[in-house]
Order: sequence, then C-alpha cells, then structure tokens
Amino acid sequence: MSKRIMIIDDEKIVGDMAKISLEEEGYEVETFLNAEPALKRLRETQFDVVVTDLKMKGIDGLEVLRTVKKLYPDTKVIMITAFADLDVAIDAIKGDVFDFFPKPVRIKELKESISKAVAGTE
Amino acid sequence: MKNIMKKMRSIVGRRAGQRRAGTADVRLVFTSYKKILDDNGRALEIITDMGEKMSGGYLFDIIYIRKAYSDLAASVKVSLKDFHQLTGRRYPEMNSVFGRIDAHIRGLIDGTSAHRERLAVRYADITPEMAREMGGKNYHLAELGNRLGLEVPEGFALTVFAYEEFIRHNHLGDYIAALAEEDDPRRRHELRARILNGGFPPALEEALAGALEELRERSGGDLFLAVRSSAEEEDDVFSFAGQFETVLNVPSQIGAVRDAYRRVLASLFSDEAMAYQGRLGYSPGGLRMAAGFVAMVDAVASGVAYTADPLGRDQGVMLVNSAWGLGKSVVEGSTEADIFKVGKSEPHELVEARLGRKETRTALREAGGVEELETPEEQRGSPSLTSEQLAGIARQAAVIENYYHHPQDIEWAVDGRGRVAILQARPLRVRKNAPEAGGEKKLEPGQAGGPESRQDGGAMTSSHPVLMHNRGSVVQAGAVGGRVFLVSSPEALEEFPRGAILVARNDSPQFVRAMPYASAIITDSGNPASHMASISREFRVPTVVGTGIATDVLKSGAEITLRAEEDGGMTIYGGIARDVIDNQHDTFLKLEELYEFRRRKYIMKFITPLNLVNPFTDQFAPEKCQTIHDILRFIHEKSMRELIESSRHAERSASLKRLDIPFMDDIHIIDIGAGLAGETGEVVALEQVSSVPLKAVIKGMSYPGAWRKGGVPISLSDFFTASMRTGAMLEDVDINLAVISHYYMNLAVRFGYHYSVVDCYCSERSTSNHIYFRFMGGGADMSKRQRRIELLEIILDHLGFISRAKGDMITATVTNISQEEAVRILDQAGRLMAFTRQLDAMLTSDEVVKNYAHRFIEGDYELFG
Repeated sequence: MSKRIMIIDDEKIVGDMAKISLEEEGYEVETFLNAEPALKRLRETQFDVVVTDLKMKGIDGLEVLRTVKKLYPDTKVIMITAFADLDVAIDAIKGDVFDFFPKPVRIKELKESISKAVAGTE
Repeated sequence: MKNIMKKMRSIVGRRAGQRRAGTADVRLVFTSYKKILDDNGRALEIITDMGEKMSGGYLFDIIYIRKAYSDLAASVKVSLKDFHQLTGRRYPEMNSVFGRIDAHIRGLIDGTSAHRERLAVRYADITPEMAREMGGKNYHLAELGNRLGLEVPEGFALTVFAYEEFIRHNHLGDYIAALAEEDDPRRRHELRARILNGGFPPALEEALAGALEELRERSGGDLFLAVRSSAEEEDDVFSFAGQFETVLNVPSQIGAVRDAYRRVLASLFSDEAMAYQGRLGYSPGGLRMAAGFVAMVDAVASGVAYTADPLGRDQGVMLVNSAWGLGKSVVEGSTEADIFKVGKSEPHELVEARLGRKETRTALREAGGVEELETPEEQRGSPSLTSEQLAGIARQAAVIENYYHHPQDIEWAVDGRGRVAILQARPLRVRKNAPEAGGEKKLEPGQAGGPESRQDGGAMTSSHPVLMHNRGSVVQAGAVGGRVFLVSSPEALEEFPRGAILVARNDSPQFVRAMPYASAIITDSGNPASHMASISREFRVPTVVGTGIATDVLKSGAEITLRAEEDGGMTIYGGIARDVIDNQHDTFLKLEELYEFRRRKYIMKFITPLNLVNPFTDQFAPEKCQTIHDILRFIHEKSMRELIESSRHAERSASLKRLDIPFMDDIHIIDIGAGLAGETGEVVALEQVSSVPLKAVIKGMSYPGAWRKGGVPISLSDFFTASMRTGAMLEDVDINLAVISHYYMNLAVRFGYHYSVVDCYCSERSTSNHIYFRFMGGGADMSKRQRRIELLEIILDHLGFISRAKGDMITATVTNISQEEAVRILDQAGRLMAFTRQLDAMLTSDEVVKNYAHRFIEGDYELFG
C-alpha cells in the first residue's frame, strides 16, 4: 500500500506543489490550508508523515505536532517555516519532530527526508 | 620610422593641453566603478536565486518573494545611486525607468496594477510587460508577429483595463460580486443583458475610435474586422478554446465595433465559460477580458494545424485540417475537412492525406457578417491546399511550437494570393500515451528516495544508450530530442536548422539568434548566470552549460535526447528517447496547471529576461529597458564606458613607470591598485607585472610567430597615405600607456600605424567582467584598411565579441565572462594586435581576407611564408 502523507500550509501553492511532486513518487497525499480540518481528518485516519507549516492562523504547527504525537506516536512530523522563525522554531520543537526545513524548501530534500521517515515506519 | 613619426607629431602639434579637461581622477572613477560592480553583482545573485527557487524545484511562499524582491530592488537602487554619481547624472531617466518596472512588479506581487490608463494598444506596440493586460490571445498573436516575424493580420487590442472601465461605468461590479456569492443562472442572464446594453465610457470610446482610425489608415481605408475575446492569462497554459465569443467580419465603423465588443465581453459570463473558469479555480469576476480587433483575412482556405497528435498515438507528425473559405467551418465542424498528416521536421513530407467532402464553406458577406455557402461541385472533393501551402503552414507551425516548447493548436488562413497568415496559436493538450500492458509503472515509496535511485530509474526507463550523465550546470530544465548542430563560429548560426540542438564550446549571447529555433543548448564551458543563460530561461530552451565534453562527445547531425532536471541532474541519451521526453512533459504541465504557481512565477518575466544585448544598436537605451536585468546591464555597460574614457585621459603624474618589453616600444604604466608586484623603480620588468589582464595580453603579443621583428614591407603610396592620416590618429596615442590594477587594464598601444585600445576587467565574478577592444588607423589605402577591418570582424566574432565597424575603426565588446575565458581572449587579442601589424601590405585583394582570418584562427601567424 502507498504511504500516506499529509501537508498543512496556509499558502495553497505550497501544498499544491508538494502534492504534485510527492504523488510523482507514488505517495498518497492530502493537503490542508489550515490545521483544524487537518486534525479532524487525523482523528479519522492515520498518516505516515505529516508535513506542517509552523506559523499558521488559529492552530499552529506546534499544536499539530502535539496532537499528532498524542494520537499516533509512530507518525513522523516534518516542520517547515519561514526563514526568519528558524531560531524560535528550533528551540520550541527539540526532539519531537523528524525533520525541519526553512522555506523555500528544496523539494528534492523534502522527498529525501520523507523517504527516510517512511523507511523508519516499516 | 620612429623619427618620422615624431616629426609628424610636431607638425600636427598635438599638445597635452588639448586633453579633455575636467576628467575625474581615474583612481576615483575606478573605485566608484568597482562599487557598481559589487552592487550589480549582489542584484544578479538575488535574481539567480529567485529564478532557482521559483523553477519548480522548491516550495516557496509569498514571504519569500516579497523579501527577495525587496532585497533586489534595494540593490538596484544603490547601484543606480552610484551610477548617477559616476556618470554625473548623464542618464537621469534611469530612475523613472526603474520606477516604472518596480511599480509593475510590486503591483504583480500585491495584486494591483500600474497601467490603468492603457486602454487600446496596437499589436505592433505590444511588449512582454503588457502580456497580462492584453490577454493571452492578443499577446500571443502580437508576439508571433513582433518576435517571430510570422505573417499575422494587423490589429489592436482593448486591454483588461478597458473592460474594467466598462464594468465601472455601467455599475456592474455589484452584479459580478453577487454572482461570486451565489452563482445563479438568472443573475448571469441579467448581467449579460446589462453588458449587451451597456453604455461606453467616454475615455474608452475615444481610445477605440482612435485605434480604429489608425488601423483604417494603415489598411488604406475601410476594412472588416474579427473581434475576438482575449481573456486575461498570466501564462500560456490554458487555451480557453471556444469558450468565448468571436464576431467575424465586422465593418470598421464605431457603432458596429462597439456592439461586437459588448458581445465579446458578455460571453465571459456565458454558462459554459463560467463552468470552465470554475474548473480552473477562477471565481466569477476573477478573470478579466481583453479583446482583439484584427483585420479579416478573405480566406480561400483555412483551418487548424496541430503540431502533435492530440491523442498521443502518432509520434513525429503534425495534423493540418483544412477546408474552403473561413476557418469557422473547420473549428465548428460544420463541414467535412481535409486532413493532412505531415512530418514534424523539415521538409515536412506528406505522410497521409484524407480528403473530406467539403459541401459547404463559410464566406464573408459584403455588408458584414458571414454566411454558409454551398461549395461548387468541382471543388468539393479536391484538396483545399497545395503542397507548397501545406509545407508553409507546417514550417510556421514548427517555429511556433519550438518557441513555446509545447505542442500548439494553430489557426491559419490562406488568402487569395496564396499567402499563409497565422490567426491564433494556443497550447494543445496532448493525451498521455496509454500505459503499456502490465499496468502503470509505480515506484514503491520506499524505493523512491535518494537522487541516485531516481536518476538511475530515469535512465533505465529508456532503452537508449547514455552518452553523458550529471555534467555541467542545468540552466533551464526540460526534456527534448533533436539533431546535434555544432556551432563553432557565429556565422554558423545563420544556417541553424529548426529544431536542432545547439552544441558549442562556449555560451554566447549571440545564440539568441538561434533561440526561437533551438530545441536545446549544450556547451562545454559557460556559467548559469550568463546573458545567454537568462535568455535560455526566458525562451524556456532546455540548457546545460559547462559540461566540459559536449563538443567531443556529441557528433554533428546525430540524434540525441537531453533530459535536464530542475534539481540539477542531467542525462543525454543517444537517439530520440520518446519515453524520457513525454515523462518530463507531464510533470511540467502539472506544475504549470497550478494557478498560483504561474501567478507567482510571472513576476520573473519582468526581472530576468535580457533585452539589451547589443550595446552598438539604438535598442541599447534607457527607454528600451523592460526588466531589472536590462537596467543592470545598462548600468554596467555605461559605467564601463565611463571608466574607459577616464583611463584614456588619465593624468600622467610622476608615478608613471615604464615597462620594458624587448620586442616593442615601452609601455608606460599607471598603477591604480596592485597592478605591479613588489618594489618597482621607474623601469619595470615583465615579471613584476601582476595585473591579470596585462599579463595575458603581453603573453599573447609575444607569442612565437605572431610578432614579426623588423620592418614590414610597405609600398611608397601606402606610406604617404599613412603619413597624411597619422596626425589625427595620434591624438590620443602618443605613447603606449596602460592603466592597471590587479584585475583591470586599459591599454592603449601603437604598432606602426595601428592603434588599439583594450580595456578589461577580469575578476573572479563573471558578471562583473568585460573586455572592450578598439582598433583604428593604419597605413595603406582605404581598400586595404577596410579589408583589415573585415578581417578583424571575422576574428573578433569568432572570439565571441559583439562588434561594430565604422570606416576604418572597429569597436568590439564582450561581457559576462569568467576570468579564465577573459585571459584566453586577451591572449588571442594580443596575438591579433601583433598579427595585424604585418597585415596592411598583405591585404591586396578581398579573397585573402577570409584566408588570413582563417589562418589566424588556426594559429598560423606566418604571413610571409
């Protein structure tokens, strides 16, 4: 079965581009523009990897991280964020995220990271 | 000889006091120049970074774009400030030129627009920055005429601002907003009715009347028009084929044209068009409508050309559908059409012809409008095109496809005189090949990890041999197949075959001549920030530079396939690897389908492309700048000229030193910064020169064989001609003089009766570097001098210079070259200066010019052998 990836970012283009690139690799991808419906979806079903933006209106990336870890300790979370928030982010999320990328994210690197993340879930 | 020269000089009476007064100290100018190089360098780095981040290989957001662009604009502002200081504000208009482009880009980023006043524009005046406000159809038709030089009908556009004016004037904004709230068919209907009965705002009325009058004048009186929709589109991905109304054969009277325009606008809100827009993610009112007004072609035959089989079954063919009369019959399928299948590449041989029974044809009515007539019996079954016309259509279609790098759906018409006109070109959707038996290939996610597995996977999907893998830098990604065409000199570009893959040793901005026809470009050396590279990106020509081995491995005439990836990987296969080409196409299309992606990427059109290529034409002017890159290029070129002037008139203070060169007169040196090494006295030895360019040029001049010691045979009449002319020529070159720093040199030398100026900056940063070369004078009669200029032109062209000859003077320049390349070219320039010294007496006929040029290029400097 294909591995399942969830993308949460409040800019549509980020999710759309990620979806196209990751589907090319054979993943099943769902994208969300904000965390609320994403978390609702997560309660229905598990994903192998959740890629989320850190700073979002309403529920932010850190809360997504906490919820995911509570629901599915095995699910890997990859955090992406604007470059300026890098330091704050690194402090805040020590340990719990699988990987971390400042935007713009090189898609090739994101793919490699996801590939490693799903390999760990086998 | 030296004594005679001295005498001549004293007679002519050149005095130091005649030097241009008021020139700033060359050291100050140089410092200022270097600062501008740094400013520009920073700006160009940001441009390269933006291009990379928005190439499709990165996830980026609006924060990135805002930040990157504001950094870029800040760099340009600093550069402009320093530029004004250097030139004494000689180009004050550059501020408003930048202001215009800057406002436009910021408008695009923030979704506002800067040119609301532009309502009507004639096709010949449409430039790339207007693309969005013209709508896709107008823009592309104008582009086919203006840029590719294809035959398109005369016409003009009413912009999207004209549409906005119309909507505002008739207070329709609220209706559209309501439609966006709730898409109700009755509301749609009412909106359409209001548009059809809407009044014309005075400004729009005036603009339309003016444009009509102007078109009538150009056409020599009244004419008939096709009034067509041209929906706003940021790029050329969606066709909107048949979604909106076209009104044919409209008399050029304002009343009739106004009505046709209203009908076109109303069609934006037709039921089908709204559904189509909805599917593409536009909300009602989100898409604005421009319109085109083009001269009707009284077509004998017309139809549609597909540059690929839309069903993806047949590789390597184009399909041409054709019927008698206007194209309406073909497009709407109201009559059977002839279907011709022709080869995709020259000579476009006919593969298959299926003649339709063309019972009816659409014809122009005399008073306007069109009618469907019965075709005369004898014409019904006969082919509607001659084989020449068919080949003509195929040739133009191939040019268009090559230009857009995507299969095209092209409307064309043949008029009463047999001439083919292009009426429209839009992207053609080609269905992906059906999967092979055994189902679709799908990698398991686990396997799909690193770059190795993917690229090897890519290579293995093709049965074709791999000729090259992961070499050089990818400038523009893409996958294409074609025949190799080796370009060893710029003249070869004249014979560049359409659709071929350009392979060359170095990159060159001169390749722009072949860009519309080249499928791909591959070079041995070159850098991804070069002018050529930005042009490649602009034309979306898949390009890889710096492979090191392309001209060795790729044989002229051989078929190859290049796959260059966004992430920098590349593979070249032997033969045409269809599987590779199609795969790439799909991914690209999917990305381009993202509305947001296209919208964001669109701003790069006003940043990266370089329009100011040749500094010797009147196109190289402030008002011709259309992009940020153009502005930077202009600043660089003009600053460089300022520096050259300043060096040429450098104050010769006590610090003047003499470089002792065994085979020629001393070169006097002004060192303005680390051009000489160690302690030096008044006389400097060759080993003490540390200036990179001066070392290179002296090395060239002293190349064995290039320099001929002793006198050069010269005829008595040549001698007298020379003597008569030297006075004026000596104006600036009374001694050999070099102004140098570690990376800079301005060298003025005199050999016999020849005077050369070589100016060069060659640092580690390619974008800062240039070589400027000027050669003039010479003893011998005019015909010999002209032959010499001709010879120099051939050789300089070969070295990659852009040159201009005027009388017996030639000026040439090359910019954006690596230090290594600069040193190589300077070495050649040194040899050339020595070589030409012998020439005058030898250039006895036109035939020998090419011969000698060739011998120089081959490294044979022995002219008296």
